[in-house]
Amino acid sequence: MKYILIFFLFILLITNTYSQSNVNPDISLIGTFSAFTNNIKDTPEHGKLNFETPSMELYIDGYLNPYSHATANIALEGGEFHLEEIYAQILRGLPLDMQIKAGKYLVGYGKINTIHPHAWQFIERPLFHQVFFGPEGFNDIGVNFSFILPTESFYSNLDLGICKGDAIAKTEVFDPADADNYVDFRGNSPIFVGRLSSFFDLDDYTNLEVGLSSSYGVHAKMDFNTVGDSTAELENKSLKYFYGGIDFKLKYKPDSYTALTVQGEGLINNRQVFHQGDVGVNIPVEISEKINSFGGFIFIDYLFSRQFSVGAKYDFTYGIIGDEPSFSTLSNDDKNMTHCISGWFGYYPIEETLAFRLGVQNLSFKYDDGTLRDNETTITLQMLFSLGPHKAHPF
Amino acid sequence: MKKSILSALILLFSTLSLAEVKVVTTTTVIYDLVKEIGKEKVKVDYICRGDQDPHFLEILPSYMLKLRNANLVFKIGLGLEIWLQQIIDGSRNDKLKLIDLSTDIEKKDVPTGKIDASQGDIHPNGNPHYWLDPENAKIMARNIFEVLAVESPQDENYFKKNLNDYISKLDAKIGEWKSKLASSQGRSIITFHKSWIYFADRFGIRVVGQVEPKPGIPPTPSHNAELISGIKKSEIKIILMENYYSDNAPNQLARSTGAKVIKVANSVYGQPGINSYIQMMDSIINSLSNNL
Repeated sequence: MKYILIFFLFILLITNTYSQSNVNPDISLIGTFSAFTNNIKDTPEHGKLNFETPSMELYIDGYLNPYSHATANIALEGGEFHLEEIYAQILRGLPLDMQIKAGKYLVGYGKINTIHPHAWQFIERPLFHQVFFGPEGFNDIGVNFSFILPTESFYSNLDLGICKGDAIAKTEVFDPADADNYVDFRGNSPIFVGRLSSFFDLDDYTNLEVGLSSSYGVHAKMDFNTVGDSTAELENKSLKYFYGGIDFKLKYKPDSYTALTVQGEGLINNRQVFHQGDVGVNIPVEISEKINSFGGFIFIDYLFSRQFSVGAKYDFTYGIIGDEPSFSTLSNDDKNMTHCISGWFGYYPIEETLAFRLGVQNLSFKYDDGTLRDNETTITLQMLFSLGPHKAHPF
Repeated sequence: MKKSILSALILLFSTLSLAEVKVVTTTTVIYDLVKEIGKEKVKVDYICRGDQDPHFLEILPSYMLKLRNANLVFKIGLGLEIWLQQIIDGSRNDKLKLIDLSTDIEKKDVPTGKIDASQGDIHPNGNPHYWLDPENAKIMARNIFEVLAVESPQDENYFKKNLNDYISKLDAKIGEWKSKLASSQGRSIITFHKSWIYFADRFGIRVVGQVEPKPGIPPTPSHNAELISGIKKSEIKIILMENYYSDNAPNQLARSTGAKVIKVANSVYGQPGINSYIQMMDSIINSLSNNL
């Protein structure tokens, strides 16, 4: 991955050499340092103060010309560099006032997914994101078409995208870092993503956004022995999925110092999964079976005195958080559930240049077969800093 | 049939004769000036409310809708509206013309040397709060006239008359405001944010300190302690602040020193009863002249 960094440094160096512009892109860096402790028995972290390897995100963004813009985000996580995002956007000048975004980016599924975790009020990624999108959220390679709908009295936006589908495979491929696995398991099968959102000014101080999202495609391709005969020819089948989502954000901001936010998202998962039936001729018959599962979260956050925030979140999802990705766990699991209650306190001494967050998360697990498992509580203290130009926050 | 065609033609021509310049302004002060010059020939809206801090604005999608069909957007400039470009991009309006009203303003507080975040929220091209000097409001009004006249040349004379009327009104008020503050010449005040230097220079008032230790940086106990001794030593009577800032620290200073906190709107619609630039300046001048 160091080659990616070298490549970007090279690009930065040559930007001024080969362009006729003397304007540099904006460069900013977000640093995150976390320490945590937990009560998870039989783990080395249990009851101890554990320091995580610091992480960072390096943003480079700027206009390519009056019509388009580009962004790159290189992340260092767990001591490894990876390319979090790199995309270009055509902002204006297209028919129907369409905007096009192409590259690798956080996909516009729901509200939270397109916001980088350092800008969330809470620390941990929502459970259903981990189960249905993987540990990095719905981050994929693709192209997105965005339209403002002709609703004159309120703002409505429609996003339609087509993506490679890596994010979907990450919830079931054992080694998500191995890109070849995706092709093995999914074939070359693009997925489709869409979101319809509307924004309302309820009054001068209160705003509401509601959205509907969906994603559809093939999540895996597998060879099935449909007759249960070890000598039979295997039948290659595509297993399809459909995610339907709903999200809302309600914010009351009476002045520059105070804000109350209530926000939530939910996802319904309908997919075909691999299932072994009764023994056929000499082995179990392999069939595809449809499952339905879901997940969601809701949180409340109160910002006061501009510098402090306190909040709480309830999360639930089908699938057990921490399970290894496979064809029977996480997004393919419609039997077991994880619940989470979390709370946080944030301190932002000077705008977003420096932030301290203390978070407590309690996970509880419900197994269909009656397996008992202790709740897991984690306390995390996080410090974030932001170096470089700061953009205004979108709603 | 003839009647229908005639009706359609009447409707078409009446629509054309009502064709107006669609303007969006970043602040309500510019909004008021555009209204004064454009009157019914201009359809105008604003983004930042008068009771909001224009330095920090959350980007609402409804702002994009405002800019979507606009011909012109006027801004204060000098880095005040860092949020504007994101709204313009979101509007997807490729015909929108962006007008920076700071172009002809004599800038103050232009930093020299290296600028970095250790100096607070510094504006590299100068202090953007120039609208609080009414002479600068005249420059803004003239710039607005020139832009509107280019955008709608058939209405140039109409805009010119409105401009002249407004400048005359403003000149008369400037004389009145100066005489109201004549006895306060040379008096010292403390302000919350470094936003009153244009105003103070125009009316001969000395700004000797800010409640913010550095621009945009929240008040600190150690800085408050320094201010308390400075206020006592210089017998400062007034702490002037915009009404969208928290008055916790200024009130603490007032309790320790006997100085008075004066909260004013520095924008149109910043508080009830302030519906124009002239009303806003009246309110500020009256608050000061009664207490300085």
